[in-house]
Amino acid sequence: MRSSKLEDLVHRHKEIARQEKEKTGRPVFGTLCSYVPVEILHAFDILPVRLWGDGKNHERADALLPTYICPPARNIMAMGLAGHYDFLDGVIHSYTCDATCGLFNIWCRNLKPAFSFLLSPPYMNTDEAVAYCIAEFKALIAALEDYTGKQYSAERLQKSIDLYDSAREHIGAIYQANRNGATVRYLDLHQMNLALQVLPIERVVPFYDAYLSNLRMSPGKGAKHRIMISGSVVSDPDILARIEALGGDIVADDTCLGYRLVQQRVPPHEDPLSALARYYLDRPPCSSRADFPARKDYIRETISAFDVNAVIFMHQKFCEPHLADHPFLKNVLAEKGIPQVQLELEGEGLSGQIQTRLEGFFEMLEAG
Amino acid sequence: MEEKKTRKRLQANTALRQIIVDFYAEGHRAKAEGRPVIWIPPMNGLIELFYAMGITPVFPENWAPLCAAIGTNRKNFEYAAKRGFSGDLCGYFRNNVGYALDGINEENQPLNGLPAPDFLISFGAGCIPTMKAFQVMCDHFKVPVFKADLPQVAMEKIEKRHIAYGVAQIKRLIRFLEDETGLKFDIDKLRQAVIHTNEACRLWDEIMALRSTVPSPFSAAEIGIMFVMVTRHGTEIAVNFLKDVLREVNEKVARGEGVIPHEKIRLFWDNIPLWYNMQLFNYFEKWDAVVVAETYTSAWSLRLNPDEPLESIAYKSLVSYPLVSCVSLNKRIELITRAVRDYKIDGAILHSNRSCRPISMGQMDIGRVLADELSVPSVMFDGDHMDSEKFSMAQFQTRVDALMEMILEKKRAS
Repeated sequence: MRSSKLEDLVHRHKEIARQEKEKTGRPVFGTLCSYVPVEILHAFDILPVRLWGDGKNHERADALLPTYICPPARNIMAMGLAGHYDFLDGVIHSYTCDATCGLFNIWCRNLKPAFSFLLSPPYMNTDEAVAYCIAEFKALIAALEDYTGKQYSAERLQKSIDLYDSAREHIGAIYQANRNGATVRYLDLHQMNLALQVLPIERVVPFYDAYLSNLRMSPGKGAKHRIMISGSVVSDPDILARIEALGGDIVADDTCLGYRLVQQRVPPHEDPLSALARYYLDRPPCSSRADFPARKDYIRETISAFDVNAVIFMHQKFCEPHLADHPFLKNVLAEKGIPQVQLELEGEGLSGQIQTRLEGFFEMLEAG
Repeated sequence: MEEKKTRKRLQANTALRQIIVDFYAEGHRAKAEGRPVIWIPPMNGLIELFYAMGITPVFPENWAPLCAAIGTNRKNFEYAAKRGFSGDLCGYFRNNVGYALDGINEENQPLNGLPAPDFLISFGAGCIPTMKAFQVMCDHFKVPVFKADLPQVAMEKIEKRHIAYGVAQIKRLIRFLEDETGLKFDIDKLRQAVIHTNEACRLWDEIMALRSTVPSPFSAAEIGIMFVMVTRHGTEIAVNFLKDVLREVNEKVARGEGVIPHEKIRLFWDNIPLWYNMQLFNYFEKWDAVVVAETYTSAWSLRLNPDEPLESIAYKSLVSYPLVSCVSLNKRIELITRAVRDYKIDGAILHSNRSCRPISMGQMDIGRVLADELSVPSVMFDGDHMDSEKFSMAQFQTRVDALMEMILEKKRAS
């Protein structure tokens, strides 16, 4: 795979963050959700690292979390308790789902990071909401000024926004290339999306650049089963690989990690903070922050834009936002005659049950 | 022969039953007379606004405990399952969605069921299942929808900007309601409603504080009195009822009359009760134990300022959910720590509630604080506030019995 180097970096992201901290003295902050404005952290020379769990080996978390919390949240807590994130100086969360909010509080209480902050963003994107969101960002900035001893600089923030925007633009372009039949593997895109969350931004953009410039058209690729995956945290490359092996070309996604995050750029504005607030609120919202009309719009538009002809729901066990949306989204797909299947992920990766469901689904697609 | 009979029922329950009947009848009457009925989420703090404007509020989430008590929850769960909703979703969600989509059409419903809404609120606020349940309803009922927005802020972190944003949302809601109903908003009526709520909260605190008396005049089995705090805030109905409750409880305290004759153990209950099995609170009697304080009843321990009615209901909206959930674990631990001291708690029952992740997350921390900092033993049992199939009486009894023995041993040793 051409992005194997990137995959290796993603795999070693905790070690890299630790090294970066040792080498440069940059503080490292953990984030629990894509709604944390990492650009602001970056502008304070803080390295943001998304806390990321694959849902496996979560038993250690049983001392702090109920068993009916989603496997990735339990896995993250387990890693925290095992010291995998002992290099973190702070943790920031932006309220999305109840489980991650609970995780944030329990993490802070037990692992006692030097800095912690819970952002409370609005759910709408009216002018009033944007103004309120800016006020929330300013509260975060004040706390960061206090912690780092540095002054906020609009100029620095603009540079950070430009850097992240560049990354988003590259990944967005790779989605589009994939859509148009280029030699893109979704597994590569998955690693690129993850890299954006867990690696220093400066290190990832060259990989995206190289990947994009090396793309070639692949006539006939994915012509048959153009798949969209939908769910919250999709962290099982084995399952994605199995989908590919069964003949599915994943061209689009609706997850905590993918296209929703890179679809748009921060709009030009004389005040970068205002522009950033607008970006986060304008982005197609995640299930925890969206109403049904917004969910419906994103699903319909993405299906149409990427010529999706089948959807695989990858739901983490106990994930209430996505489980609540599921019947509604199934109806949306049924109206368009798009087949779908639901996988329930219990932290076991590509289990026999998931293999069977996937095989059955693709047999049905082949027959249909 | 030694008297063991529970004297747990407050006389006020007779009046409460009538208040419940009247509340649901009022919704149907409004509907029949063509007055607007709105379905709103619980604990959102805006009930005063609706009463002030003459709009009849209906709370699906308050309907859920009634369904559980009556037994219609199972049918509603079936309806939800047939629509494809997972059994892992909160029981309130499954009940309310099942009811709203299908159960509402059944004949001969208890209390005649809920009157269909003329308006709905689709909101970002509160817990995910409540937010999503209203989204399902908004998609189902073809009625005007107001999109509300309230950020999730830890109670101790609420600042002016949060209140100001809440007020802006309320003003937008007022415009929506005026446009849709033709009714006019009157700030003085809202002020009066806020006065009623403030008085109800004050009375509530006074009533709850009396439970610190040994023996405790009533137990968690009476938690149903909070019906007025959910549905009748902003009205004299809540105030008058609570005055009667206070009078009755004061009299019991003056007589030295406890809810059980020989109170030996005083317990704290964390999380929502099992609405389908409120008799569970009687189980503690065999150990001469009584639940004298709960997390859930703290949700109304707040004060409003009638001089700033809009800011007051914005504040109430902001704190209602975080006060009892894990938005602020430290605040919740502070609340429980205070309760342990004020109510002279000997032990705690932690209901690990599959239907409420926001309240259940953090209970391990709470258990540790109880043990390590307060020397109060606790026990955790698995359950569900709506679904009896996710509760094992045998497990509950085994764990509670062990806790009681431990507490008694501790008492004997001291």
